[in-house]
Amino acid sequence: METTLFYILAAVTVIATILAITEKHPVHAIVNLVTSFFALAAIFFLLAAPLIAMFEIIIYAGAVMVLFLFVVMILDLGHPERAARPGLFHWLPAVLLIEVILFSLIVLVSVRVGPPAAAPMITVQDFALTLFRQYGVAIEIVSMQLLFAVVGALYLGRRRKA
Amino acid sequence: MIVPLTHVLLLAAVLFCLGLGCVLAWRTNVIMLLIGIEIMLNAAMLAFVGGSCHWGRADGQVFALLIIAMTSAEVSLALAMVVYLHRRRKTVNVDDFHQLREP
Amino acid sequence: MKLALELILLLPLLASLCHALLGRVLPRRLVETLACGAIWGSFVATLAAAAIYNGPVTIELGSWLTAFTFTAPLTLYLDPLSLSLCLMITLVCGLIHLYAVGYMQGDPGYCRFFMLLNLFVGAMLLLVLAENLVLLYLGWEGVGFCSYALIGFWYQKPENATAGRKAFIVTRIGDVGLALAIVLCFQYFDTVSITRINQMGSAVPLGLITGLGLLMLLAAMGKSAQVPLMVWLPDAMAGPTPVSAQIHAATMVTAGVYLLMRLFPLIGLSAMVTAAIAVTGGLTALYGATCALVQRDIKRILAYSTISQIGYMMLGVGAGALTASTFHLIEHAFFKALLFLGAGCVITALHHEQDVFRMGGLRRTLPTTFYCFLAGAVCLAGLPLTGGFFSKDSILAAVWQQGGTLYGGLYALALFTALLTALYTFRMVFLVFGGNSALPGPGSPDRSPSPLPPVMQWPLVPLALLGLGGGLLNLPAYLGQGLLTQFLAPLDDGGHGIALATELGLQGVAAVVALLGLALAWSRYGAARRGQRLIEAGQPATGLTAFLLAGWQVDGLYRLLVVRPYVWLAGLLWQQVDEGLIDDTLDRVALLLGRCGRGLGSWSCGRVSVYLLSLGSGAALCIGWFAWVAL
Repeated sequence: METTLFYILAAVTVIATILAITEKHPVHAIVNLVTSFFALAAIFFLLAAPLIAMFEIIIYAGAVMVLFLFVVMILDLGHPERAARPGLFHWLPAVLLIEVILFSLIVLVSVRVGPPAAAPMITVQDFALTLFRQYGVAIEIVSMQLLFAVVGALYLGRRRKA
Repeated sequence: MIVPLTHVLLLAAVLFCLGLGCVLAWRTNVIMLLIGIEIMLNAAMLAFVGGSCHWGRADGQVFALLIIAMTSAEVSLALAMVVYLHRRRKTVNVDDFHQLREP
Repeated sequence: MKLALELILLLPLLASLCHALLGRVLPRRLVETLACGAIWGSFVATLAAAAIYNGPVTIELGSWLTAFTFTAPLTLYLDPLSLSLCLMITLVCGLIHLYAVGYMQGDPGYCRFFMLLNLFVGAMLLLVLAENLVLLYLGWEGVGFCSYALIGFWYQKPENATAGRKAFIVTRIGDVGLALAIVLCFQYFDTVSITRINQMGSAVPLGLITGLGLLMLLAAMGKSAQVPLMVWLPDAMAGPTPVSAQIHAATMVTAGVYLLMRLFPLIGLSAMVTAAIAVTGGLTALYGATCALVQRDIKRILAYSTISQIGYMMLGVGAGALTASTFHLIEHAFFKALLFLGAGCVITALHHEQDVFRMGGLRRTLPTTFYCFLAGAVCLAGLPLTGGFFSKDSILAAVWQQGGTLYGGLYALALFTALLTALYTFRMVFLVFGGNSALPGPGSPDRSPSPLPPVMQWPLVPLALLGLGGGLLNLPAYLGQGLLTQFLAPLDDGGHGIALATELGLQGVAAVVALLGLALAWSRYGAARRGQRLIEAGQPATGLTAFLLAGWQVDGLYRLLVVRPYVWLAGLLWQQVDEGLIDDTLDRVALLLGRCGRGLGSWSCGRVSVYLLSLGSGAALCIGWFAWVAL
């Protein structure tokens, strides 16, 4: 049953992503993307990564996408649904290139995969231990990176005395 | 594992290509650019999580978490820059900012 | 003997070299003395060689070209033909050098003039004395070059330089024939030695001999100004008069006839070749005579006359009478040089006026010139008992002797041409020397003739005496054995033994024809009628006169057939191929490279969209390659 669920969720993800890509209005695109992220989170859950699923929903879909929406609203882009779709010159190279890459990736993926190890399910404790023991330095660095981001965003966003 | 790793990787590949396609097709609109980048990063996360489930090690999930963290930082800065540039030039067409070319 | 031959050749050549290197620094008198002295020294050496001559002799001076089996040593061959020609050349050229000292006395380019003149004599002697064809070709080319340089001597005027070029190019066409013949000779005979080639006549097929003969005839046509390559000689009169006298009357133009005579033992075996030579000679004689009839320029009259007389010599060779041709060649050298020098005197005296219709009364003002010129004119017309009469008559007799329809027709043609010759010769004499003083030229009424230096006048006298008395060289059989016949007997089996009655009859006919020509000229140009002719000459020429004046319009024909297509082709190759194809291809390649460079340069435009596409393409390439390898 979980297998079928996986495939259904995979289909949802892909369809939602496609819709997100082909939308003219940024808000519609972002909403479709959120749908995609929700399905992806469910897939993570099925793949025995519940913590990652939660973080995906809370941080990614909840914070990052909301931030996108904020910015789109602030920018006040006029009537984007009346804007022109990208012309042939824009999407034809894109389609060609992604076809090449997709095909190559499929080939690469199907050619080499190792035999499955007898894999125990990963628990949250395993995850936490791995995270804080082996990747402690990474956590520190990433936190500092977040700090830099905050500072930078503040600086870029300040209003000047006109 | 519920599905073979190959299938997970295939899904990740499809999502990655979709994201790349969004970046290349909307390469003049900065907001859609950033959305495409998000999709690509998500695909990478899926690959990592699938791998960690396949081999039963938590390292993959750790990396997925780190990706999330890094993405947040990057998005905030990117959007701050978009706001800033929009205030200067009233456009989201990334091609209008080409002064950094080689002389 | 060896010393004599060496001196004959080396004296003019060394003098020329000396003039070329030192002429500017030596005083003028010394240069002139050296030039004349070299030629007279050659004459003395030739007399010495003649004195000790007792049979044909081959002398090798050294080796020159050697490659595999091909050898062309510096070998000289002295036999009756070359000895008599050497005597004539050195004597006539010696007299002309003296004349030239006076003629060029005001000209600043005397150094180059005498250098070229001496070089010419050296090359001509080399041509005559050469034993193998390659050495002969060297002399041939040498005289051709000197002719070109001397025709265009006053090169500052473009028409003179053009005339020189025309002469060179037209004779070149003939030279190709000679070069091909030399190559053929070497291929089939394995030797280029003339003495040996002449003995091989029986060993080779007739077709080869005919081919060789026709190629030699082509060479002779070019050098001796025969139809169809005669267009250069009238224009060559642009050179100084001593040059015209020496090169284009007495010596160089006879080189073609000499070549045919030299190789006659071989090419005479083919009846087609001798017929071709005779027909060429006959046609040319007629052509020259008709054109000379209407010319206005005194030098052009003499040029066409030269063409005509050399036609006679070729006719003689074609009829197999080498002695008659040689006799006429030597006689013609004497009186034609005389006529040219006399014309030079007239031209100088009248301040460089060359139109016969503007001359007159000179028999009183230039008596010496008049009598000498008259002597030359009677020789040219062939009036009885002059040297010219005997030489021309011997050719006519030889042609009559050959019999058959072709030679019969050629005899009639030659007889008619003799009439025309007498006619135009005395037309010239009456117009130039007859009547009263010359018409006043425009803007300068009643100019008296300028004085002539004596050195220009007295070389005419020996030439006149030689011309008139030249008949003594080869009296016909009934008046004693001809000296020349005896001398040239080894070469020429033309002693057919012509019957006495026939010979007298032929001579009588020739005499009557010459006197008839004189009478006709008198009736048209003598005394009172002369004035009328002068008035008529004021109008431009029409109809037949215009046709003959332009030399049967051959120049125009050649321009249409040869020059214009060539110029068109050259223009095509220049603009279409050289500029259009070759240059433009290079230009387009350069432009293409430029555009490629600029195209590549526009990749770094600072636009993110372009960079994103490049990123995507690069990624596609790399991942695609990985997939390809993994397959």
